[in-house]
Amino acid sequence: MGLALFAALGFAAFWLLSAPRPLTAADLPDHAGDVANGERLYHASGCHSCHLPGPDLTGVDAALPAGGAPLKTPVGTFYPPNLTPDPETGLGTWTGLDFINAMQRGIGKSGHHLIPAFPYTSYAHMTHQDALDIRAYLATLPAVKNSAKPQDVPLQAIVRRGIGLWKWVGLNTSVTQADPSQSESWNRGRYLVDGPGHCNECHTPRTVIMTSDMSRYLAGGPHPEGDGKVPSLRGLIERGRYKDANDIKSALQNGELLGYDKLSSGGMGKVQTNMSKLPDADVAAIAEYLASLK
Amino acid sequence: MNLMTKSLLAAAAGVLLSATAVMAGPADDAIKGRQGCMKANGAAMGVMVPMIKGEKPYDAAAVADALGKAEGACAGWAGWWGDDTQKGETLETWAKPEAWSDKAGFEAAGAAYGQAFGALKASADEASFKTAFGAFGGTCQSCHEKFRRPKE
Repeated sequence: MGLALFAALGFAAFWLLSAPRPLTAADLPDHAGDVANGERLYHASGCHSCHLPGPDLTGVDAALPAGGAPLKTPVGTFYPPNLTPDPETGLGTWTGLDFINAMQRGIGKSGHHLIPAFPYTSYAHMTHQDALDIRAYLATLPAVKNSAKPQDVPLQAIVRRGIGLWKWVGLNTSVTQADPSQSESWNRGRYLVDGPGHCNECHTPRTVIMTSDMSRYLAGGPHPEGDGKVPSLRGLIERGRYKDANDIKSALQNGELLGYDKLSSGGMGKVQTNMSKLPDADVAAIAEYLASLK
Repeated sequence: MNLMTKSLLAAAAGVLLSATAVMAGPADDAIKGRQGCMKANGAAMGVMVPMIKGEKPYDAAAVADALGKAEGACAGWAGWWGDDTQKGETLETWAKPEAWSDKAGFEAAGAAYGQAFGALKASADEASFKTAFGAFGGTCQSCHEKFRRPKE
């Protein structure tokens, strides 16, 4: 009897604490989307790297984020959804609030928790304005009809509620704040690295509860796809990996086109391709910030 | 047999066993060949990249020499990818299993590289060298991205 009561209480606590807590319209700034800034942040955020068209989708421009390509992770295989404005299978009917809740709080349009293979844990550090600009840019893309396959993740319902509990413990939603003792470009670099760039998701090792271990910030770790290692981004100059910030910038812009061969395995090639589409000043800012990490 | 002799024999057996376990074999030879080829390619990049960046003047003879060395080091390429070379006896390889599971894709990537390499080698002046180099670097990237494991 006592045990059953205890279990019921435990379950009630789990259910309450793991419930999705979405933002409401009042939390959103009044903001007219800036398409050009959205395009820039779309590349900085690496959206296309995962939301690219799946292999069975023919006749679709491969540069469009039409979704459906398999993404293998330790918890199962995901088929990242269609981000084009198609009303039935894409984001056509999504409001700005729907978009912010998904991208920055990990809550899907139907109100369930999203599994953090989608790096909303990092995107939460962006301003809502920047996230809304990405949505404004996505709305300008041609609509593609493509329903992504359902996720192939065992025990999904319970896993999703478990993620609610995990978020309650470990989801940090503070927007990256400027450090007044550093230059404007250094601060821009940090914002891009920690927020849209979501570098921490792979380059910072995880704690036992799978949150980023910030005491080992960007210090490298096991590869999330389970094969090989992700290098540390600290002491890149001191360890002789790069000559200076300018060398890091050149590596991010050119990758293997200029013989920077560390920039093209384990998914970094896609990241580098995205970086090459950013304005010069943004890549310089990222390089300045990374070069300062000892 | 006393305890002393037994221990000695056991130790000797242990040494023999571990010696066979760590002995280099055919997979190691293939891996050594692959890695030597990649190293020579890296060295050639080291010669060419400063010319592309404008840090050094274009030097056709130095380019030809570096590419010639890379070609020599990679001559055995086709024979280095047998199914039994996915794991070395003693050497670690950074090749992903996809190099074997997606043979057609891997061979296409190799052919694209070979073609870009040939164009680079045939370039006779600075302008054509720079054009050919861009395509060459792209083939390195697309193959590494698919078929090489990340390493620190």
